Amino acid sequence: MEGMTRREILGTLGVLGAAAATGAVTVGVPGPATAQQPQFGQQESVQDAMRRLFGARPIKDAGGLVKLDVPLIAENGAVVPVSVEAQSPMTPQNHVKGIYIVADKNRIPVVTHVALSPEAGAAFMGANIRLGETTDLRAIVEQSDGTLLQVKREVKVTVGGCGG
Amino acid sequence: MQDVGKVRVRVPSTIKAGEVVRARTLVIHPMERIERDAKGQVIQKKYNYITKLTATYLGKQVAVFDTTQSVSENPFFAFAFRATDPGQLKVTFIDTHGGKYEGTADIRFS
Repeated sequence: MEGMTRREILGTLGVLGAAAATGAVTVGVPGPATAQQPQFGQQESVQDAMRRLFGARPIKDAGGLVKLDVPLIAENGAVVPVSVEAQSPMTPQNHVKGIYIVADKNRIPVVTHVALSPEAGAAFMGANIRLGETTDLRAIVEQSDGTLLQVKREVKVTVGGCGG
Repeated sequence: MQDVGKVRVRVPSTIKAGEVVRARTLVIHPMERIERDAKGQVIQKKYNYITKLTATYLGKQVAVFDTTQSVSENPFFAFAFRATDPGQLKVTFIDTHGGKYEGTADIRFS
């Protein structure tokens, strides 16, 4: 706390308090009800989810660096195969730290997150996910230097698979 | 389902030393969805779904998935790793009811 003025400390506490009250922060707020709850499985809007995960960090368009592979039309929303591949040397200095999959219109928008280590050798992940309705699907790649790259694709869903 | 917790891990049949290979894994699990009553209110209960998948190769973590109820029933995941030495690839799934399901694949070079 050295080097912080009283004003700054009070300000920080205020922000944390407000965030806790609205439930925006789950990390570091071990409420009795949320203690068992994993950080991801929350019902929230995609804007809230993005703010919670990334705060104000800028998210760049990945262009050709990240490949998101997902069917254009998903006939069955209960099982939609998704795979993400990012170009990365995967050295300890420069590697992909994590990949997020976010489905904008799902009630639980953050579908999955994978933390990768340099031993992985390639920034690749695949999963079968649920989509409730036709939605934008985002893959967000977090690099070891903190850069965020995003790819967005629309997936048309014939029969929704979320139920909830 | 009596098969709950059965884990399958697939790796390519021929692997060369130093190669980056893709592994696929699957667990039989219901991944319960959020249920609602007639009024559309969420029924509060402890839903049983997978929250974590850890993949380790030669004792080192290569990929850790955090998952939510937006992941399909019988979840399938794929990831890559660099096959440097013969050894064991181990995949562990953890669900919200304390279930822990493990699967392994032996990495051998041909």
